[in-house]
Amino acid sequence: MKQYKFSYFFGQAVRGLWRNGVMSFASIAVLMSCLIVLGSFTMLVANINVNLDELGLQNEIMVFVEPDLTDDELLRVEQMIRNISYVGEVRHITKDEALDYMIEQVGEENRDLYEAYRDDNPLSDSFEITNIDGAHYTDVTYSLSQIEGIRKTRDQRALANMMQSLKNGVTLIFSWFLVILFVVSVFVIINTVKLSVYSRKNEIVVMRYIGATGLFIALPFIIEGAMIGLVSSMIAYLLENVLYGYIQSSVSDIVSIIHIIPLSDVRLTMFFGFAAVGILTGVIGSAISISKYTRN
Amino acid sequence: MIDFTNVIKAYPNGTVALNGVNLHIDDGEFVFVVGATGAGKTTLMKLLLREEKATSGTVVVDNTDLSKLSYLRVPHYRRKLGIVFQDFRLFPKKTVYENVAFAMQVVGVPNKKIKKRVPALLNTVSLGDKSNCFPNELSGGEQQRVALARALANNPKIIIADEPTGNIDPKMSLEIMNLLVKINKLGKTVLVVTHEKNLVDYYQQRVIMIDGGVVSDDRVGGMFE
Repeated sequence: MKQYKFSYFFGQAVRGLWRNGVMSFASIAVLMSCLIVLGSFTMLVANINVNLDELGLQNEIMVFVEPDLTDDELLRVEQMIRNISYVGEVRHITKDEALDYMIEQVGEENRDLYEAYRDDNPLSDSFEITNIDGAHYTDVTYSLSQIEGIRKTRDQRALANMMQSLKNGVTLIFSWFLVILFVVSVFVIINTVKLSVYSRKNEIVVMRYIGATGLFIALPFIIEGAMIGLVSSMIAYLLENVLYGYIQSSVSDIVSIIHIIPLSDVRLTMFFGFAAVGILTGVIGSAISISKYTRN
Repeated sequence: MIDFTNVIKAYPNGTVALNGVNLHIDDGEFVFVVGATGAGKTTLMKLLLREEKATSGTVVVDNTDLSKLSYLRVPHYRRKLGIVFQDFRLFPKKTVYENVAFAMQVVGVPNKKIKKRVPALLNTVSLGDKSNCFPNELSGGEQQRVALARALANNPKIIIADEPTGNIDPKMSLEIMNLLVKINKLGKTVLVVTHEKNLVDYYQQRVIMIDGGVVSDDRVGGMFE
């Protein structure tokens, strides 16, 4: 077989695709849809994760103290926070730092307006508690409420929980959807390649009697399946790019606090991911179709 | 050398196609295998081609015990055989040359060797001038000659012809049979499965008759019945 040119296998595969045009088209359409759903779902989950991480929602509490505390009292409050079990890191944010952060957030054009408060800063000192043991979150908030000098605490557990359940819900629905789509894709490819196999049935019988190996007989069909996968994945990749680009610009315009992963960061991964899943699905489908004919 | 020893072949539906076949064919013999439809001839061929395995007993071809042959070795075993079918089974979209060359390409013969050997094979079957024709441009007899050239392509030790004259007229049948005799004289073992009484009697070779799944008669010198 090593003497046999690759062009033979490739030519037979192209001929097979052409001969069963309608089925080839159907296979490509189904697999492409499947890949677009896979890509969209992966990007959605990745974006939820990035936003969850960025907000540090799950294990962070902000503690604001009374505005008139002395330095000694601030130290005492900090020490008491540090003494609470399950608290990870504690960072003291002075009211000046809080003002700087605020100015940074509102932008240069409004700087003067906020700088006016520098000498009579209405903000209070705060402590940022991070790396809290999630299992003892309630214990930590209770202990904080017992410390004298703390005006209020702020955590975003409700939002975090909402986003987490959203992520879980999306994962569950899309996973099932994907499984069904992949099964359908494999079946359509099996039938497409089966038509090719059927149209070359006599040829296959002769090849077997001549002494062709199973691989020699199967290879054109495997390549045919891989080509269906490759074409589907390339179309899916292009469409996903357009779709994601559109969503990215729309979301950024409407809700600026949501961070969207830039397309340029994932383009390469998406390209190879699509190609790998597409080709693998095609190869599995065609291998199943031809297996009966390569047995002796 | 082909050896069948107490070969029984029963299919899963309960049909016993061969019921204790014993036969021995030496290298270089010319043998007709005859018998009525359903007698077991096809099963005998399937066992020889290792398309089926014997339920019990042993089939040994050229020192290879077919019951012990692994799945991966079957294609290599088949390269020792040249098969001729009743319906020729040529590739309609390949020329005469390509049909013969394909058999060699499949088993990895270098192109240089193919270019040398195919014209020689076509000359052997007197089709040297038809190498660029397509099968549908040839008569039945000529198509069967192409099939013979293809069967010889990889220089097999044994030629198995399944009703090789079934689809061609009597004159052409003689031509094909003469070719098979010629091939036999080159040292190949030739097995011809046939229904044609006249041919069997005409060539006066060894005749093995299969009846009811056993060898009912085995004699040299023709005589179908």
